[in-house]
Amino acid sequence: MSSRRSRVSEEEINRLVSKLQSLLPETRQRGAGRASAAKLLKETCNYIRSLNRDVDDLSDRLSAIMATMDSSSAEAEMVRSLLRS
Amino acid sequence: MQATKSFEQAFLRHLLRGFRLSAVSYKSMSLQERKSAIKLSADVAMASARGSRKWTRGLITKLSREDEHRSFLRLILGTEYGRRTKPRHGSWKIPRSKKIVRRSLRVCSRRKNNLRAPHGVKSGVLARTLVEKRTHALKRLVPGGESLDGCSLLDEALDYVISLRAQVDLMQKLLTTFEAPKLRALSKCTLPERKASFVGK
Repeated sequence: MSSRRSRVSEEEINRLVSKLQSLLPETRQRGAGRASAAKLLKETCNYIRSLNRDVDDLSDRLSAIMATMDSSSAEAEMVRSLLRS
Repeated sequence: MQATKSFEQAFLRHLLRGFRLSAVSYKSMSLQERKSAIKLSADVAMASARGSRKWTRGLITKLSREDEHRSFLRLILGTEYGRRTKPRHGSWKIPRSKKIVRRSLRVCSRRKNNLRAPHGVKSGVLARTLVEKRTHALKRLVPGGESLDGCSLLDEALDYVISLRAQVDLMQKLLTTFEAPKLRALSKCTLPERKASFVGK
């Protein structure tokens, strides 16, 4: 028995699920098939972990390259990026 | 779905400010120290650029729990620091005891299932437990996610993923722009060699 309130929540959840599926690299490749809740959760968790690892790796590489730059050129590059975007 | 242009601008602005405040440009830091400072600046920049969401508040709270981060956070957040990091109504304690309650409930239900559930029911129970387990995992991964449920958790996770992707993209772009002069210098070095070999022929 779905009251009006729970029907709205179900639409909401469906909308969120399809948005999430369009972001996740694995489910995006597979196409429009609906993944199970367990699969969706697993892939979301995996994706977040992978993105966090990317940030960690990029921080390492930025640290390495900034070690060879002088302070003014690093900042100048960043300001230029800001003006470009 | 993508983060907006204004998010990108705000992220870069906050990142630049964070780099200045933690003086990452100065060579006196060790590689590891600089890496931690860069990562911290990037996380704070992401949360600040996004504005007020459950996960951004959760992230700032989580970062402020480390002693070495506090002075940086105080500097970069300024007057916002006190407001953002103060736990509301002693909410610090509740998640911890909830975890213990949840754990004991899980143990109790597992014991009950081993004793009572007939074989046919097992797959349904297993599926539900799997969803529960993975929901808990997601709650731990999304900052501030412990107190969220179902719809709100998915909503925050979606927003968090979009912001994380933008963070990765922007850091990659920054790395590329930093590396560009080096690559140009390298290509200039190889040209004279090629010229010599041509003349030789």
